[in-house]
Amino acid sequence: MKKNLAEIAAIMVFLVVFIPLASSSPDGLERVVETFGVEEHAPFWNGLMSDYAIAAIADPYVSTLLAGVFGTFMVLLAAFLLGKAITPKNPKALK
Amino acid sequence: MHIPDGLIINTPSITTAIAMWIASLAFLTWSWKKAKATYSRSITTLLAISSAFVFAAQMINFPIAFGTSGHLVGGTFLAVLLGPYAAMLSMTIVLLMQAFFFADGGILAFGMNAFNMAIIGGLSFFLIKLFTRGSSGNKRFIPCIFVASWLSVMAGALVAALEISPAFAGGIMVTVPSMLFYHAIIGLGEGAITAVLISSLQRVQPAIMGGLTLLKEKTKL
Repeated sequence: MKKNLAEIAAIMVFLVVFIPLASSSPDGLERVVETFGVEEHAPFWNGLMSDYAIAAIADPYVSTLLAGVFGTFMVLLAAFLLGKAITPKNPKALK
Repeated sequence: MHIPDGLIINTPSITTAIAMWIASLAFLTWSWKKAKATYSRSITTLLAISSAFVFAAQMINFPIAFGTSGHLVGGTFLAVLLGPYAAMLSMTIVLLMQAFFFADGGILAFGMNAFNMAIIGGLSFFLIKLFTRGSSGNKRFIPCIFVASWLSVMAGALVAALEISPAFAGGIMVTVPSMLFYHAIIGLGEGAITAVLISSLQRVQPAIMGGLTLLKEKTKL
């Protein structure tokens, strides 16, 4: 348990350190879309924190960091539940 | 290479989106069944932590060239750690959270994104298994991981290029070469990061690499 908490903390430190260093250039697919001038439709779903930013927080670093921390915990929780669901119920049946 | 819903603009692209939803759901149903039957011990902790890490790592775009960036997908990374089945499910969770909370990748386009990153990423496991003869002790193990990571990004980019082509006036003649061009470079980042991550994990936490026993087990397709 202690080890897992340390691993989660390490992911948080990773976000704190690397978010300000991340490139804001378009990614490969966005570049291709821009290059050939494709007009995108307005999406019908904008997410709760579009583009990893919390609208209420002005500072872009804090905003993206908190969005990232939130997302990390949501993935952690969902993947934990997935792990529980795919683990065989009866341990005696295990090899 | 997350495809946004904004690129699904006409009948061919809607048809493609629906077809890819069906294809991805078929693969995910398969991996769900295989995951329940395959894992002989709980992988819950490893699954949760590695999925969370992949989500965090995908937020960090690294610059390549030509004012363009890329980020780790992590499909091969998860496939090596968790095996192909849990890796597909794990990456699907990452993509689901990205689409739902952050509008990174569309909802209609979710089937495409799941296929390009989760399914293809998970399938890269079989490439590594084949070329290392199922042993993580093989001296070709880390080079194989590099190549498989690069190939998984290229394969994902190729399929993505086909999927988004209906939105482009030039069709696949423009999307395929341009997507492959940028992702050939992004894939080098993917290969390098994945190789470094796995080789360090192998050294620092050999216990974690227990997931690799899957390499030895008979994983039937």
